[in-house]
Amino acid sequence: MKKSKLQKKSIAGQLILTALAILWIIPLIYLVIQSFRGEPGAWSPTFFPQEWTLDNYKRLFLETNFPSWYLNTFIIALVSCLITTVFVLAVSYVFSRMKFRARKPLMNVMLILGMFPGFMSMSAVYFLLKILLPNNYQSMASLIIVYSAGAALSYYIAKGFFDTVPKSLDEAARIDGASRARIFWKIILPLSKSIIIYTILISFIAPWCDFIFVSFIMSGVPDTSKYTVALGMYRWLERESIQQYFTTFCAAAVIVATPITLLFMWLQKYYVEGITGGAVKG
Amino acid sequence: MANLSLKHIYKIYDDEVKAVNDFCMDIKDKEFIVFVGPSGCGKSTTLRMIAGLEEITAGELRIDDVIVNDLEPKDRNIAMVFQNYALYPHMSVYENMAFALKTAKVPKNIIEEKVKEAAEILGITQYLERKPKALSGGQRQRVALGRAIVRNPKVFLLDEPLSNLDAKLRAAMRAEISKLHEKLQTTFIYVTHDQVEAMTMGTRIVVMKDGFVQQIDTPKNLFKYPVNIFVAGFIGTPQMNFFDAKITKKDSLVRFELECGANISEEYAEIDKIPIGYMDGQIPVVVGIRPDDVKLDDVAYNEQEWGKADARVTLVESLGGETLIYADMNVKNTSDKHGIVVVKAGADSEIKKDDIIKVAIKKSNLYFFDKETQLNIKPRIPKENILDCVIKNGRLYFGKQELKLPPVFENLKSGECKIAVPPEAVVLGEGRAKAKISSAEVIEDKVLYRLEILNNDENFNGAPLFALELGKQCFDEGEKIVFDIDFSKVSIKEQNIEPIEKTNVLKCTFVKKRGDKKKYKFYFDIENQLLKADEAICEKLFASKGTQIFDIPLEMVFMPDSIEAEKYVSDGLDSIAGKVTDVFDYGMKCFAKVRVGSSDIIIMHKCEIGEKLSIRFNEKGFNVKDKTKDIIIV
Repeated sequence: MKKSKLQKKSIAGQLILTALAILWIIPLIYLVIQSFRGEPGAWSPTFFPQEWTLDNYKRLFLETNFPSWYLNTFIIALVSCLITTVFVLAVSYVFSRMKFRARKPLMNVMLILGMFPGFMSMSAVYFLLKILLPNNYQSMASLIIVYSAGAALSYYIAKGFFDTVPKSLDEAARIDGASRARIFWKIILPLSKSIIIYTILISFIAPWCDFIFVSFIMSGVPDTSKYTVALGMYRWLERESIQQYFTTFCAAAVIVATPITLLFMWLQKYYVEGITGGAVKG
Repeated sequence: MANLSLKHIYKIYDDEVKAVNDFCMDIKDKEFIVFVGPSGCGKSTTLRMIAGLEEITAGELRIDDVIVNDLEPKDRNIAMVFQNYALYPHMSVYENMAFALKTAKVPKNIIEEKVKEAAEILGITQYLERKPKALSGGQRQRVALGRAIVRNPKVFLLDEPLSNLDAKLRAAMRAEISKLHEKLQTTFIYVTHDQVEAMTMGTRIVVMKDGFVQQIDTPKNLFKYPVNIFVAGFIGTPQMNFFDAKITKKDSLVRFELECGANISEEYAEIDKIPIGYMDGQIPVVVGIRPDDVKLDDVAYNEQEWGKADARVTLVESLGGETLIYADMNVKNTSDKHGIVVVKAGADSEIKKDDIIKVAIKKSNLYFFDKETQLNIKPRIPKENILDCVIKNGRLYFGKQELKLPPVFENLKSGECKIAVPPEAVVLGEGRAKAKISSAEVIEDKVLYRLEILNNDENFNGAPLFALELGKQCFDEGEKIVFDIDFSKVSIKEQNIEPIEKTNVLKCTFVKKRGDKKKYKFYFDIENQLLKADEAICEKLFASKGTQIFDIPLEMVFMPDSIEAEKYVSDGLDSIAGKVTDVFDYGMKCFAKVRVGSSDIIIMHKCEIGEKLSIRFNEKGFNVKDKTKDIIIV
């Protein structure tokens, strides 16, 4: 039997996707393998190591500052993630539900501001932090502020989601005597699991992986234990240390990537729902 | 348990789209009011304004005599049921119903008691632990009703609650909501686009179209006495049949000449509420007949009550229990107009397309409308009586009866003319004009008398004289009375005489002036005279427009009898001054034309030309209109 055009097309598509998937996964596999390499040095002649070992991981936790970096990063990511989520959801809800005069202009300004890459504001941020925390501007607190303060700029997807939640629910609750805040917390949020998870994921990953702001704000801090993983690990890749630390770096990278990967795999259903919620129902 | 009063309610979107126009209504306690109309007519908007979900652009809404315009929905003591139920999906039925009480911090045991009680009434006790998702449409609707019941509201608002249900369930829920209304004994306001729901449930119905109220009446009256073609066509299924027609009167017989070629004759006495002006065969009218009043002429209906016509069948719809036959009365192709009539026939009717059938039309149930204004020209209470009369020597003669004309009409030209007298202008008198009461009809709380003017000669056109409420006395049919006419309300076309009482309009602006203690005081500037505006009025003006109110031209609108006048003493801030330029003595009442600045107003006051007067407005006697948008603000 002749295969239909549609089937042929889909086979071609599958092949291309398979090829791409392999291409994309090679560096990942390489990274994982390298983290178990016994031979030292930045470069190895073979893809698979001659000697397999767990020493890189041991060294990572026992001889370097990695555990404290990891903890720093985790705290920063967690706190700013919480603040960001609340900000984004609250702002999105307001834009979706309340009608006030500045609504449209504010939304437009925020949308446009959000299009600029964040690091454009770096020098301004630096001076603002110096004013805000004069004695302590190179600290975790300032990083948390930096990561969460502008969060509301990315209200768009969450607003799209809230737009699909029937307004009559708000109205019914208003008639039932609930305040705006109570409607938000008791009625709307319980219905918005997917968008909450999406927002949490996004706002956790951003500080978790950020390098630019950390390197900028924390540069010149002598105590390396105050670094985050991104900054600390980057130091290992500098010319003088790469030979010594490359395999450790790979091990650290695996440790850093693991929690997000697991988180993603666990929550991917909601993630897709959250990102497409507005599009499908809207 | 509440009375509602809606006064001049407007809703305007984006400064131009008028969704609701001048909605006025008083709703009594325990009424079941239905707002009905095609989609986009403003019925839901009005309901949402009552609920407080939508701001009221202008007007005044009172619940139990408290102005609630600016109150939050929760403080209005209302409950609302939404079209899509709006149940909280993540809560169980119990939690859904308890939410309002929990929010109000009612103790738990009372919540439980109330929810159980409501669940019992609605028969949903066994579903209390379920989530809304696990319920059918009808059950969800019940939960939505339950959520409203537990709050024990003063007013129940229902926004198309049944439109998401299938036809069978809808009929069942309809009955249940009616029962609920009986049981709860509260005021219900119900919005629907389904006229069957409206007719079956409402104690009174508000028919709306394009943001305007068309008619507010009981279902029966809407059906029997529609004010215009729209209401007549909207209420009743199948729809009323309409035919373009002309009416001609010859002696005591009136002929309706339908443009499709058919003719129906009727005694004039049966339709004397139609103004005689329509009966000269000139003015196009629309004749309406409900399908229920059109029969197949198979049992030879008597000619006196039934008009007969032939018709060619164009479509047959079998509904099972009965058959609807669409037939064209333009059988002979004598006219290029079709006259499609819908006839109800029995289930076993064997009529086919293109058959010629004979139809009988019940004459007493015909409806008549003016084609241009679309208004019913045979209303329950006729707008005016048009009488042939002769004016001679300051007297008015109807046939042989005569009335003395008031001083203001002393200089009228002698001759024949037609005088238009509204029914309420016919009063008991002491002169020589006599009439016999030929019938009395009770309409709502009033009595409409049909008077026959006695001793007429041939010149008189024979039209009856309708009178509304002849004083406080009640009269029986056959009694003879002496009548008079309140001439301030009549019009005589030939002599350019119009009723004197009409709405006065004064241009004004709203201004502020700094008083003592630097506190602002607010005034109306009427033709450069200041009139103090009391607090309640200021509040309403500010509420509608904010401080912009100072910049827009306003109009003060009032009736002649809503102001008081007295001899001018001195300029005051609670009155405005004017000079009498003309006086009109109507015998029973006296009116004066007063010049205020550059405008003239008419007031009811006895005075002399040239006199200077102070004019005082009583609080509720006037409206303030936003001239730019034509909205009544106060």
